Amino acid sequence: MPENVIVADKIKISAFETIRSINGDKVIAESYPGYLVDESKISGGHAQWLCFPTNEQEIVSVINKMKEENQAITISAARTGIVGSAVPLLGGAVVSLERMDDFIGLGYDEEESKWFARVQPNITLNVINEIVKLKKIEESQSIPLEKNWIEKFNEEPIMFYPIDPTEMTASIGGCIAANASGARTFKYGATRDWVRRLRVIISTGEVLEIPRGKYKAKDGVFIIKTAEQEFEIKVPTYQLPKAKNAAGLYTTPEMDLIDLFIGSEGIFGFITEADVWLKDYIPHISNVAFFTNEVDAIKFVNLLRSSSKFKPEFMEYFDNNALTLLRDTQKVDPKFVDMPNIPEEAKTAISFDLGYKEDTLEETFKEIGLMLEKCNSSLKDTWSAYEERELDRFKHFRHAVPEIVNNIIAERKKKYPSIHKLGTDMSVEDEYIGEMMEFYHKILNEVGLEYVIWGHIGDNHVHVNILPKNMEDLELGKQLYKKFAQKAVSFGGSVSAEHGIGKIKHEYLEIMFGNEAINEMRQVKSTLDPNFLFNPGNIFSKEVTQ
Amino acid sequence: MKIVVLAKQVPEADKVAVDPETGTLIREGVAAILNPYCEYALDEAVKLKNSHPELEIEVIAISMGPPFAVTALMRCLELGADEAYLLSDRKFAGSDVWATSTALKEGVAKLVPDFDLILTGKQAIDGDTAQVPAETAEQLGVPQITYGVETEIENKRIKVKRETDYGYQVLSARLPTLVTMSKGSNIRRIPSMQDVLDARKKKLEVKSADDLGIDESKVGLSASPTQVDRIFAPPEKAGGALVPEGTDPKVAARKLYDFLKENNYL
Ligand SMILES: Cc1cc2nc3c(=O)[nH]c(=O)nc-3n(C[C@H](O)[C@H](O)[C@H](O)COP(=O)(O)OP(=O)(O)OC[C@H]3O[C@@H](n4cnc5c(N)ncnc54)[C@H](O)[C@@H]3O)c2cc1C
Repeated sequence: MPENVIVADKIKISAFETIRSINGDKVIAESYPGYLVDESKISGGHAQWLCFPTNEQEIVSVINKMKEENQAITISAARTGIVGSAVPLLGGAVVSLERMDDFIGLGYDEEESKWFARVQPNITLNVINEIVKLKKIEESQSIPLEKNWIEKFNEEPIMFYPIDPTEMTASIGGCIAANASGARTFKYGATRDWVRRLRVIISTGEVLEIPRGKYKAKDGVFIIKTAEQEFEIKVPTYQLPKAKNAAGLYTTPEMDLIDLFIGSEGIFGFITEADVWLKDYIPHISNVAFFTNEVDAIKFVNLLRSSSKFKPEFMEYFDNNALTLLRDTQKVDPKFVDMPNIPEEAKTAISFDLGYKEDTLEETFKEIGLMLEKCNSSLKDTWSAYEERELDRFKHFRHAVPEIVNNIIAERKKKYPSIHKLGTDMSVEDEYIGEMMEFYHKILNEVGLEYVIWGHIGDNHVHVNILPKNMEDLELGKQLYKKFAQKAVSFGGSVSAEHGIGKIKHEYLEIMFGNEAINEMRQVKSTLDPNFLFNPGNIFSKEVTQ
Repeated sequence: MKIVVLAKQVPEADKVAVDPETGTLIREGVAAILNPYCEYALDEAVKLKNSHPELEIEVIAISMGPPFAVTALMRCLELGADEAYLLSDRKFAGSDVWATSTALKEGVAKLVPDFDLILTGKQAIDGDTAQVPAETAEQLGVPQITYGVETEIENKRIKVKRETDYGYQVLSARLPTLVTMSKGSNIRRIPSMQDVLDARKKKLEVKSADDLGIDESKVGLSASPTQVDRIFAPPEKAGGALVPEGTDPKVAARKLYDFLKENNYL
């Protein structure tokens, strides 16, 4: 069979009545409100059904039932997403996968010479790492059983799953659907690079078994054969940015079928099982360097990036406003930012982790020392530690800024209930990061909005957080958001580098791709899921954009 | 002047659980760290060193432990110790608090015979016995002050503010003396990259029982009079008595008064 043809498998169906389900929008709203929201905190979610299938058969039976009832399905995992992609804004059924959270097993791919974990979709990243790092795996979990991989695995150094989207209570299914990434993406790439195999249940209620490398687009087409139909999927023809990106459907001319599902925000169906690659875990050393101005800090980022001898795990950026926020918090609540005082003269900081190896430490540090000197900073001004509890401390420090921002906004909500933070998620190509930063500061200072900038500078992907003080600020902020999106796109970047489009960023997707491209995405969706059964409202609406 | 800091490597306590069936500590996958109280002791030593340049203080960290405990000593060097010694030998294996203090005493006596002050943590967060510092002081024949929170050196004496159940007490002793530290400053220090680099150039040596001339019969399991019967998590402290909200203020005040009186606070 040609490489671009895949045949779907039929699955037995179980009786819908045996599946735990709640029916009725009132009771769901009253007793299960948590299933109607995610971390985007957008309101308006409502549902007629709430179902908890425990396996593929039950998912199929839920799908059939909802087709009968004419209800759309919103797939729900850990609901840590921040673009509303798991929020049922259009009603219908919420199908929670929380009962499918097993660690199935572990295998060694002899062709790739790599270990992988086989998991159910709703297992959290924390749990995967706990099981893998502590090697809590039974002999009976070897994939395949007769290979007895577990014994060999136990002799390996500590392994882990390296993608860390900050929120480690996120599920692997949610991360695959969102192609989640994070600070460490600078070194390890995004979720996409770590998926070996998927099982996906599509709108016909059949399952696709997709190992990476087996199904490739031919002449811009995939054929999916099901029992009753044959779907011809036209691979979109737009160009993806070179910069880090989580906006829109993935496409390349000879793309792998698996990549169509990764990052598709669940619009093509249920991911019911995944194999993800594991990597040997190297201890880290965490550092924070301080600079008296932003130009020096960005110069340092570029120097660090260009080293041929080592690659940092990540580089995170804090602007002057972020440092001021941290300093102010330190004064009133020293434990919240459990760190020594941030130097008064520091206007920018770069936090970066390095792999910790005793035999190369001296050479690496000396090289970094030279870089710091070129940027008017020094090894003496740079915090550094690697004990496990120190690493936790540095991690809290990196996460403190968004937490403080959220606290401030929560306080302001008391006066203006519909006020919210405006957080950008845009990337640009390497060479434009300096210009982009200048642009952010210039525009925001011109209009006098309160803001902080922090984030993944290694990937030229920082988060601008605007903190509106009132409703006028909020409106003003929204206008700027659009300007930022246009600028980022003109610098070869993305309007959403890691959070996705969900239900709240459609207009920015338009800025990035234009209507024609979005219609191509919609075409793929309409072919594979003509009735918009799955996750309606994610990425784009059903209605064609003119 | 020479200050010895006795330091121990411990598993990160809040991640250690007690296996309910066997009663042993589950240390699997738990990272090893420098005992936090020992870190306070080291901080205090470095503080004294910095505030008394005229005394030309040298800070020497000493630990007894398995070979990988050098990492705890490396952290001491990064945080400002001048040199460090690890007493490590199979012959030390299985030492209880007494045998450990014997080894430490011999180590200190051989490596830093002219010490002026020994600073150490009030206890290690894994065993929590608080016995080793006291027994080491006894074996060295020097005075000891426990549960220190602040120290000051004045005319060859050490003044220590120490915690008690009822408040603070200030004691002073002639040097040499051993002081255990119970608390440090609110925010722990972080070394700089330069400190980390410099630490690699400082002296860090591993010493065996033979190096120190320690008689095998005095250390290790066979020289340990105590035996661990069972390890268990102490019962959680129940919360204090509460006067329910909404109580009439007069009644509430009476209840509080009675409580304070009964417990001899008044
Ligand atoms: C504090 C904080 C920080 C964050 N930082 C980052 C970050 O740095 N990088 C980043 O990428 N994200 C970040 N996120 C967002 C979030 O953690 C990720 O988007 C994550 O991938 C969502 O996983 P989830 O299990 O919570 O999925 P959910 O929010 O439940 O769902 C997300 C989407 O995936 C779909 N989906 C879930 N499971 C499946 C499945 N089995 N099959 C098909 N579709 C499915 C849902 O329908 C929905 O469209 C952050 C969130 C928080 C709260």
